[in-house]
Amino acid sequence: MGRTVENVADYKEIVEVIKDNGGDAFKLCFQCGLCDTVCPWNRVRDFSMRKIVRQATFGFTDIESEDIWRCTTCGLCPSRCPRDVKQIESGVALRRIATEYGVFPTAVKPIRTISGSLMGEGNPLSEERKDRAKWAEGLGVKTFSQEMEILYFPGCYLSYDQRLKKVAKATAQVLKAAGVDFGILGEKESCCGESIRKTGDEDVFRRLAKENIKNFIDAGVKKILVSSPHCYHTFKNEYPEFMVNFEVVHITQYLLELIQQGRLEIKEEYRKKITYHDPCYLGRHNGIYDEPRQVLAGVPGLELAEMPDCLEASLCCGGGGGRIWMETPKGERFSDLRLQQAMDLEAQVLVTACPYCITNFEDSRLTVDNGESVEVKDISEIVQEVI
Amino acid sequence: MGDFQVTLNRKPRYVIEDRCTGCTTCVEYCPVEYPDQFNQEISENKAVHIFFAQAIPLIAYIDESCLYLKEKKCRICENVCKADAIDLGQKAQKMEIKVAAIVLATGYDTYDPSLKNEYGYGRMTNVVTSMDFERLLCATGPYEGEILRASDRKHPHKIAWIQCVGSRRVTPGDNSYCSAVCCSYTQKQVILTKDHDADAKLTVFHNDIRSYGKDFERYYQRAEELSDVRFIRSYTTVSREDPETKNVFVRYATADDGVQEEEFDMVVLSVGLNPPADYQGLADKFGIELTEHGFCLASPTNPIETTSPGVYVCGAFQGPMDIPESVYTASGAGTQCGELLNYRRGELTRERVYPAEKDVSQEKPKIGVFVCHCGSNIGRVVDVPSTVEYALSLPNVVYAQEQLFSCATNSAREITDTIKEKGLNRVVVAACSPRTLEPLFRDTLREAGLNQYYYDMANIREHCSWCHSKEKEESTNKAQDIIRMSVARAGHLKPLQEMDLPVNKAALVVGGGIAGMTSALSMANQGHEIHLVEKENDLGGMARRLHYTLDGLDVQGYLDGLVRQVYRHPAIHVYTNAEVTEATGYVGNFVTKLSSDRGPSEIKHGATVVAVGVDVYTPTEYLYGQDERVLTHLELEERISQGDEAVTGAQTLVMIQCVGCRNKDRNYCSRVCCSESIKNALKLKEINPEMDIYILFRDIRTYGMLEDYYREASAKDVKFIRYEPENPPQVEAAEEEGRPVLQVSLMDYVLGQELAIGADIVTLAAAVIPREDNKDISQLFKVSLGPDDFFKEAHVKLRPVDFATDGVYLCGTAHYPKHIPEAINQAYGAAGRALTLLSNDIVTVSGSVCEVAEDRCMGCGACAQVCTYGAIEFRKTKKGQKAVVNPVICKGDGLCNAKCPTGAIFLKHFTDDELLSQIDAMSATA
Amino acid sequence: METETAQLLKIPADGNYGDVMVLGGGISGIQASLDLATAGYKVYLVEKSPAIGGHMSQLDKTYPTNDCSM
Repeated sequence: MGRTVENVADYKEIVEVIKDNGGDAFKLCFQCGLCDTVCPWNRVRDFSMRKIVRQATFGFTDIESEDIWRCTTCGLCPSRCPRDVKQIESGVALRRIATEYGVFPTAVKPIRTISGSLMGEGNPLSEERKDRAKWAEGLGVKTFSQEMEILYFPGCYLSYDQRLKKVAKATAQVLKAAGVDFGILGEKESCCGESIRKTGDEDVFRRLAKENIKNFIDAGVKKILVSSPHCYHTFKNEYPEFMVNFEVVHITQYLLELIQQGRLEIKEEYRKKITYHDPCYLGRHNGIYDEPRQVLAGVPGLELAEMPDCLEASLCCGGGGGRIWMETPKGERFSDLRLQQAMDLEAQVLVTACPYCITNFEDSRLTVDNGESVEVKDISEIVQEVI
Repeated sequence: MGDFQVTLNRKPRYVIEDRCTGCTTCVEYCPVEYPDQFNQEISENKAVHIFFAQAIPLIAYIDESCLYLKEKKCRICENVCKADAIDLGQKAQKMEIKVAAIVLATGYDTYDPSLKNEYGYGRMTNVVTSMDFERLLCATGPYEGEILRASDRKHPHKIAWIQCVGSRRVTPGDNSYCSAVCCSYTQKQVILTKDHDADAKLTVFHNDIRSYGKDFERYYQRAEELSDVRFIRSYTTVSREDPETKNVFVRYATADDGVQEEEFDMVVLSVGLNPPADYQGLADKFGIELTEHGFCLASPTNPIETTSPGVYVCGAFQGPMDIPESVYTASGAGTQCGELLNYRRGELTRERVYPAEKDVSQEKPKIGVFVCHCGSNIGRVVDVPSTVEYALSLPNVVYAQEQLFSCATNSAREITDTIKEKGLNRVVVAACSPRTLEPLFRDTLREAGLNQYYYDMANIREHCSWCHSKEKEESTNKAQDIIRMSVARAGHLKPLQEMDLPVNKAALVVGGGIAGMTSALSMANQGHEIHLVEKENDLGGMARRLHYTLDGLDVQGYLDGLVRQVYRHPAIHVYTNAEVTEATGYVGNFVTKLSSDRGPSEIKHGATVVAVGVDVYTPTEYLYGQDERVLTHLELEERISQGDEAVTGAQTLVMIQCVGCRNKDRNYCSRVCCSESIKNALKLKEINPEMDIYILFRDIRTYGMLEDYYREASAKDVKFIRYEPENPPQVEAAEEEGRPVLQVSLMDYVLGQELAIGADIVTLAAAVIPREDNKDISQLFKVSLGPDDFFKEAHVKLRPVDFATDGVYLCGTAHYPKHIPEAINQAYGAAGRALTLLSNDIVTVSGSVCEVAEDRCMGCGACAQVCTYGAIEFRKTKKGQKAVVNPVICKGDGLCNAKCPTGAIFLKHFTDDELLSQIDAMSATA
Repeated sequence: METETAQLLKIPADGNYGDVMVLGGGISGIQASLDLATAGYKVYLVEKSPAIGGHMSQLDKTYPTNDCSM
């Protein structure tokens, strides 16, 4: 922009467009800079949320820039923002405009393929819908029917991803061990739509949501168990926009419930030092901090240490807001920093409860020096090992 | 109303108040150590202790950590107390008290940052609150005035302050309002820290700097200009603590350099003010309503009156406020109680009675010297015990001792007792400045039956331990010199008599604006004749130009009601088109001459209230006066209220703040303009929601509850753009798509982008300026003006509506720009102070005044020329014209003494004899 | 008001009968009490902690003159 003078009147219409797309809260900003100081991007490169907000206030947003795509929707800045600028919702407004115009910078281009796959096959991984229940083969997992206690909704990554299928299997085994009468939707399960919505593609989100809701209702679902905090978030907080209210429970909550009810008995020791990473959508977005820690604390022999950025200040893995589908160059990956924090603690296992976090941490294990010294596990994998 | 029965539960102190001497032997022996609440739990105290060193009452109490109270063990204190003052069997006592009015002065609580994980308070040892830091700075604090880190007891060298902790935030658990005091108290802490450690590197992380009070702007500059002090505009995150050094890392963001992380030895959280913790309980018990923030709900036209008749509120329960506001709202609560209870004034009180004064003028001087440690203020530098020894060696000194705090109640009693016991007839207290404590020590002499002028004060704190605290030995020598001089003077002191004067019950109020009228009505309602003098044709003052306020007051409607009340009040006499031509007299007995619509008048009155108001700056900047589309904010308000469509129908309107102040010519902030502009912006948005409004500001100073309106304006799409004074906005006439506009251009620092705004109307927040005739008024009434030509109060904190000249009081914008509710608060405050004079039949004046030795006076008149107070007259005698001092008017400043060519006029208590003896003693070595 | 201790500013007259009760012994409560007493009223000053002075007694100095707070 440099020395040129911008006439504010020329951008008035853009301000209105941003507002109409949900960016009304930008105007509240008083430029205190707090968002920039908490934003994890500033640990790896220069990035100013404050500037994005200020630009949007005047309609100066550069919709072709990658900056509007950086936010991982980790929720740290809105949780601290003194003026309630709602950086996530407001930021999504900008992405909606870019999506509408079909403007995607290079790093964001994969989104086109992703949304195609979501529309066609109900998953972002370009896998086929018919293979969705393959992970459960040989485990004796039933298709959900009305009289069952709970629907297990593993989500896309646990259904298709090689690494995460192990988590789905472990979960199914734990549920069986506890005698839970559960089932899955299999081919009728579609992506929850949480992340594609954050990229500004409201259409795809609505289609996926409606499809899932229809199938939940058809199958007589009342209570849904999820492994992904992203599914949890959208089922619990966003699906009610469609006038439905299912009881949603995250696996960390359910595990604790099963243990407390005596349905699940921990028999084995787990003699390792571990640390727990709070996924953004479980902790900050939904306030679930205690349940996973209580489950882990109940495992004999297990030593739990906390990393520097924990609980409400948890450091994002980098995977939210659709970033899981975008390329982040080495040196700019938050998950590398997080893995290093776990290594600095000399933890043997980095435990979490989110498929995106696990995906990013597993990648970081391969690229960070000595990264393989830390195992990355989902909490259900730990529980499966000790029952 | 008028009949409250209050049940109090008096907590047991476990110490019998009448017996405890405050000797602290029990404290020494008590085995229980627990965190000292007064010192913010930074250091330990004992289960039995005195709340703080200068506590009133200065007696011990036993806390619930006591072993006996917890486990029925110990009782050591009982055994060691020589006064038999411990009573571990004390029980809580219920008291029923009947009163006719209640004043809620419950104050505030500080925001607790440990409720939020993000500040690290409670998790990181070297993160402290500003209240903790006050204690660290203080000589009576946890480390005796050394600023130390709790982690390693080392001096922190690099310190950061984080502003707005708990304030100006809509996040849950925080306050959306501004706490109004933190910017300035932080600057104070910065200045004081540099006094402790001149090389300290200090950083303040802030949003807007809110130096909106009198002399605050200069204070901010003083802090900012110190070496190695940085003010950085950024909110911050306390990111982590170094596990080894316990240093604290802070992340901040600037538009130029992005996000930085910096390491500090200590971080101070500038915590805000909450309502008192039990606000709901207070509301229930007293039947008062609260604001959404938990403060006391009051009307904008009387912030002291609660919704419950007979219950008044003063201080920070009204909302966050500074000390002077707390003081004058207290005086204001006083006058409102007075309006309610005037019929029973004086029925329940009794005069204080002193013992008869002994005549010791024929006795040889027997001087007692009391040397004060002032906690550690003096004792840390001056060797007090050896100074006491030294004092004993001086001529006429028959007794000397040391005291921890001579000003404490028990120490004062000790002085009285010692005078009687040792038969002293002169007393020297070597302590601090006579300005603050001389009256207290004089009182100890009166209590012992001595004339109070047999007292001299040796200032070994301000003049010694404070100004060269590093040179201990030399300081001790100097303290001894100062005491030797005092002792020499004391030997020459004469007993003097003070004079009782009658008090005229009428008052003169100069200025018929809201402040003057409010003050007049309150005094008139208590039976005093009031002469209200207004320069203009009509009453109302500046408020005549205001039409609405942020809290929804119809100003003209309110004003009309007030004017009607004034005119209808039988005890108020209004003089319009009036000018004061002459003002003479003295406290309780003023005579003022006027010319007015009533013709010339001479008014006799006991008190004067100065409420002359202010003017508004006429801008020369930004095309004002050249282009009719440029208005001041007052003109804008007038146009809005007239429904002028050129204004209300504008497409784009730009407001420029700080026009004519916060600059070299006027180095102060006009306080009201930010909120006034926001008020007008909100009003315009209400009339025409489509209008684009831009407010160009330096700092938005919507202090206190006004902050909520700032946010509301943002929510209504008013855009705020900050500019730097070095690079102010440019305004020029231009065309935009064929539309004639005023093009306003300026830099946006967050965007790093030059912006241009095509405005139909530009309004200027023109400075509020002192009236031109302030100088005349100040000379007439013998009161002073401050550096910006506003009237100068007697003490900025503790006597905010008094003048140094007795019997003259101050309120409203004449003191400094302020909002209507603040002016009303202050007007009641001035009335309350005036009532403390007017409600008494006599007033006592000092005995230390000038006198003329007639035989030496040549009648030359030099003395009369220099007397500021007009206290000297000339009288014809057989030996020619001679000067005569009116002792009632004389303030004892001694100016005339210096001018008199023959040494005929002299100031009692500061005679040549007394002073020369002091000077001789200085040059003499002991 | 379970936690307050009461203290009499002026000489106790007949029984527990006064003109005004001032709740809180900080700078504001002290000033209100002094003014009222000087103007001829009997005041009960009620303070919950063991000494009067309030927050101001905890401050080191006051702005903008750096006067001693005590």
